[in-house]
Amino acid sequence: MSQLLEVNEATMRFGGLVALNAVSFSIGRGEVLAVIGPNGAGKSTLFNVVTGVYRPTSGHVRFDGIEITGHPSHQVVARGVGRTFQTSRLFSDLSVLDNVIIGMHTRTKTGVLGALFLPGASRREMAACVEKAELLLKASSGELFEQRHRPAGTLAQADRRRLEIARALASEPKLLLLDEPSVGMDEVETDALIADIRRLRTERPELSVILIEHDMRVVEAFPDHVMCVDYGSKIAEGDFATVKSDPRVQEAYLGKAAVHA
Amino acid sequence: MAELFVQQLVNWVTLGCIYALLAIGFSLIFGVLNVIHFSHGDVAMTSPFIALAAAQALAIAIGVSGPVWLTVATCIAVFAVGLIGVILDKVVIRRFRDAPAMMALVATVALGIVIRELIRHLYPQGSNPHAFPRLASGVALEIAGVQVGWFTLLVVSLTLVLVVLLFAFLRLTPLGLRIRAASEDRIVARMMGIRDTRVFRATFFVASAIGAIAGLLFASYAGVTRFDFGVMAGLLGFSAAVIGGLGSMPGAILGGLIIAGIEVLAQTFVPDGASYRLVFVFLLVIGVLLFRPEGLLGRPVMVKV
Amino acid sequence: MSTHTSAELPGLGQAAFVAVSIQLLSAAFLYLILKAEGGWQVIGLLALLGAGFYLIEKRPQIADVVTASFSRVPVVALITAVAVVLLFPFAVGNNTYVLHLLIVAQLYAVLALALNFQLGSANIPNFATGASYGIGAYVSALLAINFGLSFWLTLPAAAIAATLFGFLIGIPSMRTRDTYLALVTIAFGVVVQQLLNNFTWTGGPNGLVGIPAPSLFGHSFASPLVVFGWKLPSQANFYYLSALLVVVAIITAHRLHSSRIGLAWNALRADEIAARAQGINVAWFKVLAFAVDAFLAAFAGTIYAFYVSYISPDNFTFLVSVTIMTMVIVGGMDNIFGVIVGAFLLTILPEKLRAFSDYRLLFFGIVIIAFLMIRPQGLFPQRIRSYGESR
Ligand SMILES: Nc1ncnc2c1ncn2[C@@H]1O[C@H](COP(=O)(O)OP(=O)(O)O)[C@@H](O)[C@H]1O
Ligand SMILES: [Mg+2]
Repeated sequence: MSQLLEVNEATMRFGGLVALNAVSFSIGRGEVLAVIGPNGAGKSTLFNVVTGVYRPTSGHVRFDGIEITGHPSHQVVARGVGRTFQTSRLFSDLSVLDNVIIGMHTRTKTGVLGALFLPGASRREMAACVEKAELLLKASSGELFEQRHRPAGTLAQADRRRLEIARALASEPKLLLLDEPSVGMDEVETDALIADIRRLRTERPELSVILIEHDMRVVEAFPDHVMCVDYGSKIAEGDFATVKSDPRVQEAYLGKAAVHA
Repeated sequence: MAELFVQQLVNWVTLGCIYALLAIGFSLIFGVLNVIHFSHGDVAMTSPFIALAAAQALAIAIGVSGPVWLTVATCIAVFAVGLIGVILDKVVIRRFRDAPAMMALVATVALGIVIRELIRHLYPQGSNPHAFPRLASGVALEIAGVQVGWFTLLVVSLTLVLVVLLFAFLRLTPLGLRIRAASEDRIVARMMGIRDTRVFRATFFVASAIGAIAGLLFASYAGVTRFDFGVMAGLLGFSAAVIGGLGSMPGAILGGLIIAGIEVLAQTFVPDGASYRLVFVFLLVIGVLLFRPEGLLGRPVMVKV
Repeated sequence: MSTHTSAELPGLGQAAFVAVSIQLLSAAFLYLILKAEGGWQVIGLLALLGAGFYLIEKRPQIADVVTASFSRVPVVALITAVAVVLLFPFAVGNNTYVLHLLIVAQLYAVLALALNFQLGSANIPNFATGASYGIGAYVSALLAINFGLSFWLTLPAAAIAATLFGFLIGIPSMRTRDTYLALVTIAFGVVVQQLLNNFTWTGGPNGLVGIPAPSLFGHSFASPLVVFGWKLPSQANFYYLSALLVVVAIITAHRLHSSRIGLAWNALRADEIAARAQGINVAWFKVLAFAVDAFLAAFAGTIYAFYVSYISPDNFTFLVSVTIMTMVIVGGMDNIFGVIVGAFLLTILPEKLRAFSDYRLLFFGIVIIAFLMIRPQGLFPQRIRSYGESR
C-alpha cells in the first residue's frame, strides 16, 4: 500500500534563509513519526509546507495519492490533514465548544442559501455538531468538557493544548500534525498527553500522527519512527535509539545546548 | 501641442508635490504607530485658516501687513498645526494604537468631522469659502512659451527642501533614528524599549507640520480654502501613501506624483475628464492594491506561523 | 442537560410579565424620545437610558433574567413584539415627522444589520455599504421610471445588481486586508458616488425624480392607510413595509449567525491562519460577507427610493457609510439586538439634537470618538453562543 504522506525534496527559502533544504520523508497509515531538532531547525516550516500555509520553493508533497504541493491550506485540510500550532491559535473570543464545531467545517456543508431557506436542516446539522463536539471534549478531558461554554481565551495552558488537538480531530483527519504539543505542560500533563495519543491510536488505528517534540519523554513513548532536522536538512532518521546515538544529532543538540547554557 | 504639454507638466509637478507632502504625513504616522490617521487631511487644511487668522491678528494688534508678515503668519500656522497634531495624538489617536485597525480608522474619521465642524464654528463665517492669497506671484521663467510662475518654483523647491530635511532628520539625528527604528520594525523597536512618548510626539509634530505646509500650498494653489477641503485632501493624500506603500517615504512621494499625474491626464485627454478625475484616481488605487497589495514601494509582509 | 440557566429559570407567569413589560417600556421610551421637543427633554431621556445601562452593567443578572424570560415564553414575547410594531403608528397618529423618523431608523437598522455580517461577524472593514445602498436605490428607481416596472419586481432586480457589486468589491478582500482593504472599499464607494454624479442617465447631481409610489392589491402607498376606520397617514404604508424588511433582516442575520456560516466568519475574525487550518476557505467567506451585505443594503435602498420618490448621489456618500459603521460599533458588533438599537439611537438622536441646530455634526463626531475610547465593545457586547439552553 502506498504511503499516506510523501514529501519529496522539499525546499523552502525565505529570502536568503534556507528554512528547509531538500527534505524527503514519508509516513504510512496508522504510523507515528516524531520530528526532533533544535529551535529554528525548520520543523514548523515543514508543517507549514505540508498544510499549504507556505508554498515550497521547490519539491513536492503528495498526500493520499494526490499531489498537493502549493494547494491552498483549506483544500489540504479538507483532504484529511488536521494540525495544531506551536503557539496556540485558538479562536479565543469563541466558546470552547464553538472552537471544536468550527473544526468540523469540512464535515458540514450548509451554504448561505441552505442556512436561509432550510433552517431546519441547518439547525439539525449544528445540533449534530454540538453532540459530536461534546463527545470529543469529554473524551479529551472531563475538565475541558466542564468549561465548554467559556471563551477559549480563558483556558489554562494545558487545556488550550488539549482543545487544539480536539479541534484538529474534529475534522476526522487521516493525518494529524502536532507542533510541540507538550510545551507549557508539567510532567503530569505530559504523561496525560502521551496517554491521550496512545488512546487515539487504539481508537483510530488508521490515523497517522506526526509529532514535533522537544520533550524526549514523549519521543521515547513513540520510538519507532523518528526524524531529526537541523538547519533545514534531515540529518538522521530511524528508530529512537538509532537517531539518539547518531553523532550528528548529538552534535546538533549539544552545540545548541552549549550556546543556550 | 508642446505648449499644452508643458503647461500640464507644470500643473502635474505642482499638484504632485502637494499630494506628496500630504502622503508623507500619512506614511510617517502609519509607520510609527501602525494607525491610520484619517483626519490628517483635515489637520493639514486647518493651516490656511490659522494663517489667515494670524495675519489678521498681526494686522490688528501691531498694524503690520504685507508679504513678510504673511510669511510670519504662515510660519505661525505651520507651528500651530504641528502642535495640534501632537495634541490629537495625545488625546485620541494614541489610544487606538493597539486596537483593531478599524477602530482607529473610524475614530479618526470622526475626528475629521470634529475638526471640520470646529473650523466651521470657530472661524468667522466658517461655512463660506475664504480667499487665500498666492504665497508667491509673478512669472519666474518661460519654457516653450509657457509661463512658469514663482509659485510653482516655490512649491517644488519647498518640497525638495522638506524632503531633504526630513531624510536628514530621520537618518542623522538620534530622535530621527529612533523614529525610523520604530517604523521599520515595530516589534523589535518595542522590545528595545523604543516606545517612548518623544518618538510619537516628534512624529506627529513633523507629520502635521509638513501637512500644514501642504495645506497652505493647496489653498494658495486653489486661491481659496473651505472648512471641508480636508476630506478630499485626506482621501488623496491617503491614497497616495497607500499606492506608494504605507511606511515608505519614497513611496509616498511616488504615490503623490502618480495621483496628480492621473488627475492631470484625465483633465487633459478625457472629454469631460475634470468631473471624472476622482473616478480615474480611485480606479487606479483599486488596481494597484489588487496587483500589489503592499503598495509600489512597500515591503510585502509575510505572516510567520 | 443545561446546567447554569435552568437553576434561575423564572416561572412562566413571571417570565411573561417581564417579556411583555420590558417591550412595552421600550416602546414607551421610543415614543417619548420621538415626541420629545427641546434639548432638555432629550437630555433627560438620555440620562434615563444611561442610568438603565449603568444598572445593567452593575447587575448583569438583570440582563440574564430578561433574556431567560424571553426564551421561556417565546410565543408571548413574539406576539407582544408584533403587536407593538403594528400598533405603534396608531399611537403616533398624524405626526408624519415621527413616522418618517421611524422609517429612516428602520432602514438604517437593516443597513447596520447588513454591515454587521462583515464588520461584526468577520471584522472586515467596508466603507462601501452606502454605495450598495445607492446601487439598490438607483437600479430600482431606473427600472421603475424607464420601464414602468413595479416596485415588487424592482426589489429582486436591485438586490441582484447590488449583490454582483458586492462580489466585485469583495474580490480585492482576497488579497488585501485591514487598512488597505478599507481604502479599496472607500475607493469603490467614491467611484460609485462620482459615477452617479456624472452620468446623464442617472440624472447627474440632480438625481432621479418622480419615482412612482408602490401599490399592493390596488392600494397605493401614496394614499392614507385606513384600518378599521382609523386613518393613518400615507407614511404608515412605508413604516409597515420597512418593519417587514427589518424582520427579514433579523431572520437572515439570526439564521446565518447560528449556522456554520456565522461560525466560519467568527473564526476568520479571530485568526485567519487558524481558520484556514480548519478547512475554511477564507477568501470565499470574505467575499460572501460582502455579497450578503450588499444584498440586504439593496433592499433598504429600494424602499428608500420609493419612499422619498427622489434620490440623488448625496444620499449615498462616504459619510453615510461611516454613519452605518458607527451604528454597528455603538450598538455592539456581532450583536443583532445591539446593532438595531445603535441604528435607532443614531438616527433619532441627531434629529432630536436639531435643538442644538448647527452643532449636531460636531456632537455626533464627539460621541463616536468617546464611544470608541470608553466602550469599544458597544452598548451590547457580543455574546457567547449557547446551544439548546436558550431555546
Ligand atoms: N515566514 C517566515 N519568514 C521568514 N523566515 C521564516 C518564516 N517562517 C520561518 N522562518 C525561519 O525559518 C527558520 C525555521 O523556523 P521554524 O520552522 O519555525 O523552526 P522550528 O519550528 O524548527 O523551531 C527560522 O530561522 C525562522 O526564523
Ligand atoms: Mg517550531
